[in-house]
Amino acid sequence: MSPHPESTDSTDAVVIERTLDAPIDLVWRMWTDGDEFARWYGPPGATIPVADLDARVGGRRRVCMAITTPDGPMRMWFGGEHLAVDAPTLLVYNESLTDEHGTPASDDHLTEVRVELTDHDGRTHMVMTHLGIPSDSPGATGWTMAFDKLTAALAR
Amino acid sequence: MAATETEEDQLDATFSALASSTRRALLARLARGPATVNELAEPFDLGLPAISKHVKVLERAGLVRRGRHAQFRPCELDPAPLRQVSAWADLHRTTWEASFDRMEQHLATLQANKESNRR
Repeated sequence: MSPHPESTDSTDAVVIERTLDAPIDLVWRMWTDGDEFARWYGPPGATIPVADLDARVGGRRRVCMAITTPDGPMRMWFGGEHLAVDAPTLLVYNESLTDEHGTPASDDHLTEVRVELTDHDGRTHMVMTHLGIPSDSPGATGWTMAFDKLTAALAR
Repeated sequence: MAATETEEDQLDATFSALASSTRRALLARLARGPATVNELAEPFDLGLPAISKHVKVLERAGLVRRGRHAQFRPCELDPAPLRQVSAWADLHRTTWEASFDRMEQHLATLQANKESNRR
């Protein structure tokens, strides 16, 4: 295993914390305004030609990622739903690979992204948690904790 | 950046095998060393057939290997699929870190523009 001792995540979750030199309202827009989101989101080399974000509880999101591969350009679509929207401090959405029309390619790789923002004298502390949720899990609750125990045991 | 289909299938199998607290406990036990199904069953209230069933799920997910020759066919942990799960997280982590670097640059640009407009 490759442990990340600086954070609390285990292997099925990614937790990243950053303190950004920007006011909280502006950071909130980075996540909820499609034009702003498209400016920064995605792996290096990828562009975001489409980012429709209806940042309301129950509102859909539709994001297209364009990547240039050795075989030519490739487009991937991601779709999901906003689960919690509490401006400017909490945003939770789920997402999976879809086709262009938002139909899930498969329902087994739904992931959940949680963004928590706090104001620190004009700067913004951001905690982003990205969880992979196994499809036939009776509920992802407790999953991470239990997995931490397992990885700790494996590390011995 | 997308995992291949086989890798995805492997991740599916690993995640569903791990989606049971009993099976995670069995793996934690096996992390300490090989054990027979009888030994694995000891700390549980479940009967041997139930434990046997869980072990079979872990075997199918490639997380557990069973000895062919020994009479009691001891179970042994195979951590390779778990490393695959770790790779999933590492992939996403790398992507997010790169994204947030760009977000910081973008934020800096936006604020610099705002400053210069004010002057």
